[in-house]
Amino acid sequence: MNDLSRLYRWLLLGTSLATLLFLSVAAVQENFFSQWQVLQRQYRAILKQKATDARGQELYRNFEIELRQVSVPELRAVDRCVTCHVGIDDPRMTDVRQPFAVHPGDILEHHPVDRFGCTVCHQGQGPATNFRDAKAEDVYWDYPLLTAELTQSSCLACHDPEKLPAKQVELLLAGQKLYQEKSCGSCHQLKGRGGNLGAALDDVGSKTRHQLTMVNIEPPHTTWRWHVAHFRDPAGIVPGSQMVVPPISDQEALALTVYMLALRRRDVPESYLAPDKIEEKYRELHPEPLVGEQIYTAYCAACHHPQGQGSNFPALGVRAPAIGSSDFIDVASDQFILATLEAGRSERKMPAFAAAKGTLSADEAQGLVAFLRQRAPRAPSLAEVERAASDRALGEQLYQAECAACHGDRGQGTPLGSPLATADRRAAGRAALHRALAEGVPGTAMPRYTRFTAAELRSLIDYTASLPTVPGSRARWELGQGDPNAGRELFQKICAGCHGDQGQGKTGPALASHGFQKAATEAFVAATVVRGRAGTPMPAFGRASVNYPRLTAQEVLDLGAFVKRGLGVKLQASQPATQPKTGD
Amino acid sequence: MATQLTPPPGSNAAQEFLHNLRHLPQTFKDAWLRLGKVPESEREESQATFHNFFLHIHSVRVHVRSLAPTLTLGLGLIATSSFIVLCITGVLLMVYYKPSTELAYQSMKDIHFTVATGRFVRNIHRWSAHIMVLAVFLHMARVFFTASYKKPREFNWLIGLALLVVTLGLSFTGYLLPWDQLAYWAITIGANIANSPRELTDALGITAWFDPGGFQRRLLLGANYVGEDALIRFYILHVFVLPVVLVILVSVHFWRIRKDGGLARPEDPMGGGAEWGGRVRPVFQPLATKTYGLMALVRGRRPPVNRGPENTMMSWPHLFWAELAVFMFTVLISLALSFFFDAPLKEIANPAIPENPAKAPWYFLGIQELVSYSAFTGGLMIPLVALIGLALIPFLDRRPGGEGVWFGTPGERPVAWQSALFGFAVAVGMLAFTVNFGWLRSWFPRIPQLVILLINPGSLLVLLYAGWSLWVLRQRNSVRLAAVALFTCFLVGFTVLTYFATVHRGPNWQFYWWPSQWPVH
Repeated sequence: MNDLSRLYRWLLLGTSLATLLFLSVAAVQENFFSQWQVLQRQYRAILKQKATDARGQELYRNFEIELRQVSVPELRAVDRCVTCHVGIDDPRMTDVRQPFAVHPGDILEHHPVDRFGCTVCHQGQGPATNFRDAKAEDVYWDYPLLTAELTQSSCLACHDPEKLPAKQVELLLAGQKLYQEKSCGSCHQLKGRGGNLGAALDDVGSKTRHQLTMVNIEPPHTTWRWHVAHFRDPAGIVPGSQMVVPPISDQEALALTVYMLALRRRDVPESYLAPDKIEEKYRELHPEPLVGEQIYTAYCAACHHPQGQGSNFPALGVRAPAIGSSDFIDVASDQFILATLEAGRSERKMPAFAAAKGTLSADEAQGLVAFLRQRAPRAPSLAEVERAASDRALGEQLYQAECAACHGDRGQGTPLGSPLATADRRAAGRAALHRALAEGVPGTAMPRYTRFTAAELRSLIDYTASLPTVPGSRARWELGQGDPNAGRELFQKICAGCHGDQGQGKTGPALASHGFQKAATEAFVAATVVRGRAGTPMPAFGRASVNYPRLTAQEVLDLGAFVKRGLGVKLQASQPATQPKTGD
Repeated sequence: MATQLTPPPGSNAAQEFLHNLRHLPQTFKDAWLRLGKVPESEREESQATFHNFFLHIHSVRVHVRSLAPTLTLGLGLIATSSFIVLCITGVLLMVYYKPSTELAYQSMKDIHFTVATGRFVRNIHRWSAHIMVLAVFLHMARVFFTASYKKPREFNWLIGLALLVVTLGLSFTGYLLPWDQLAYWAITIGANIANSPRELTDALGITAWFDPGGFQRRLLLGANYVGEDALIRFYILHVFVLPVVLVILVSVHFWRIRKDGGLARPEDPMGGGAEWGGRVRPVFQPLATKTYGLMALVRGRRPPVNRGPENTMMSWPHLFWAELAVFMFTVLISLALSFFFDAPLKEIANPAIPENPAKAPWYFLGIQELVSYSAFTGGLMIPLVALIGLALIPFLDRRPGGEGVWFGTPGERPVAWQSALFGFAVAVGMLAFTVNFGWLRSWFPRIPQLVILLINPGSLLVLLYAGWSLWVLRQRNSVRLAAVALFTCFLVGFTVLTYFATVHRGPNWQFYWWPSQWPVH
């Protein structure tokens, strides 16, 4: 029996000794040899070396080896960085190695350590007392230590960067500017303004590495490494990403990254805000309206091209229309553009920039339309037209191609277009014809013809004027009424293939959608049917073609009536579609 | 000795005072220890045990079999020892811990970085908790396979089960306290399991009128989300309610061991003792001439009075050496683990960033695997059925025999091996099938949830195990062997599921061969 007992006694002795050993090693290690204690002993030696005057000797004498921390309740910071960075505010520590060196620059003059702490600017794990945990790149901590060049992203929390010395916030300012220039707002919302195709970016800087897809990023998985890589190749970092980034340099990607990191919703007490930040916040709440060109650059250019030439995104299967070209701007009425801005285009990528959503105020939307109009090409003036040479053959060709569908091949008028060759029309003169051609007739299917040269206009006007006078008068002409039922049959025959049998959209846009019904008038539908839409598969049914029949004016009216009244039945019940005015 | 302690006769009060002062250490020791010296005779050794508050729950003599390390492997003692370590380190942690969602995480960081040896103390607490849970599981297995639950120890088996539940509860409630991501999402899973009766009531469409799931969840969390109320509830349960319940249950558990006649063991052969190689001294001479005082009534079929040599040893000091050795062994293991491996602490709890995968503590991962098929069946029904089944074992298997011997029933060892093999094959097969081919919902997307609730890999596993056990019952004509078959299957199945969920389940509870293949987030 005693060998059993002896076994237990030996076990007890062995385990007790080993336990004592572990306890002693742990106690000695924790109490005497932790990283910060070793460092502070080294620092004390440096202090002794530098204690050349009375002040220095006092500092040396009073130096104790202890944990140091800066506690700033207002900023929710408990930063123990100063436990190792002991010389951070001692100006004598310029020639010593890290972590003892003084903070570079004059930042601490304005941001005393005991009032601001460290992590409010540098991030990293403040409570930590060793370098690995403090840096927090590969430990469990949401915000690792920012690298030196990224630290300027923290300035935005309390400063208006425009008011800071440009050298200190170079990247931040560059990023902010790039955000506008590259028209990021076309897809991303910031402070309530911008499109909704991408994510809102107001708090993007608060994201942690767990909220970003790191599969294709080499470690360390920091958010900034993700941003830099993502700006260069979004789909390569996030499979299936639809983000479109214009080609940018590494430096630009870095600047944008700094700006992204700066975009954080932080609860900074007012007493910490620089006065200019308060002014900036005031400006945010009372924004000065943007002028048309600013809006276009900030919110439209990414898709519609800076000059309005439209863009093709083959990877997304999306074509942004060339809204600066005459094909669009000549046909689109102000009301159509405004309604599209307001509601966006459902089933298309065009987002809503509605005033209700805080993006563009009504005035700003008007300003944008004005900008589009002002930038659009203009038809030659009457004087220029009259100076140009006339060519009857050209005039006839143009008339038959562009005008005859609505106004009749002899200018006798159709239910869709008023007669041009009547006596009272002749009396109105060439100036009226020129005005109608150059500016269109608002609210009707009559578009602008800005793409015509002076010679073409001259020939067209001359040809029109030379048509034999027809009986009847323009004053008595009335726009024909379309028949929705007749339109339905036509629609099924020639439109449903692309627009869907219910107008739900297939390869072509949805016509029954709320957005379209709200934006388009019967006149717009009619004009589009007659003229087609250049750059898209929508053919011009006003011209004879191999594939499509040439529609008569009545048929066009029927189609317009069906599209607006047959497909848009629900809408009409509450809001009758405005009838086009009787017009030239 | 006693004579020296009384002042010499005829001394005055001052002399008496000085005399008493001089002898203070000895008189205090006498008063404190009652015996006052190292026991020298067996009689004094008995008194050392019997007259000590902490030791008197032991019997004065202990059977050699009970002392042999191979019978118990010291598992119950390891569990108790780690509980003692947990109490001590727990109190130390309470000094710095602040149970509020605002401060909890910060106080964890303080403990980790600034409290002297705080990180070490927390590590010990964490590792001891793991050791305790593991020891309790293994202890249960030991008691089962040595048939130690049999009459008269049925009730202590039930207390043991209650202790298992309380131990898991203690560990689980401690999980939330650091208020980090790990804690938050593990408790979210726990709360969802509490909520899982809704799966049934939703399937029946009666949740609006009868919602035990929602009630359970609110009872657990004190709110509809994991927040301050949940933290305080878990804190109170963790530092007060459950430890007190555990201490009471452990006391009863120990007391019943004593009253049920010590650790289970086979009857000693009458007049024998040869099997112990003559190492055991006879304590009672046959036909003893001694008279006995009644010390305590213990259960047993034969009173150990007036019969031949017993295979027992004095508890003092042999049993106490053993107990101390196991205690120090447990301490050493948790110290060594704590020295090299830090307890995890993830980022601060953030409801906006779900952990993926959010995994429960390891001992619940087997259940979480079942929960992934059906929360109600896997999270509540199967554990409940398993617990009830375990509780019924000593009442259904009442034929004596095999107590205190590993696999002591004839034919038990082969049945245990076969059952282990069967349980392993079925569990692995079921998992492989589910991973490769999915389950009902992947084949019939519109199938009613009620069907999945009834027929899922978890419930099928239970049915197959039960079927196997019934087959053994008929084939071997032994309740004990059927119980062995069922218990072994469950043990192996539980282990397989736990391993599988720990290693092979990644984000979205998808199958991966290794965690290194997980998509990084």
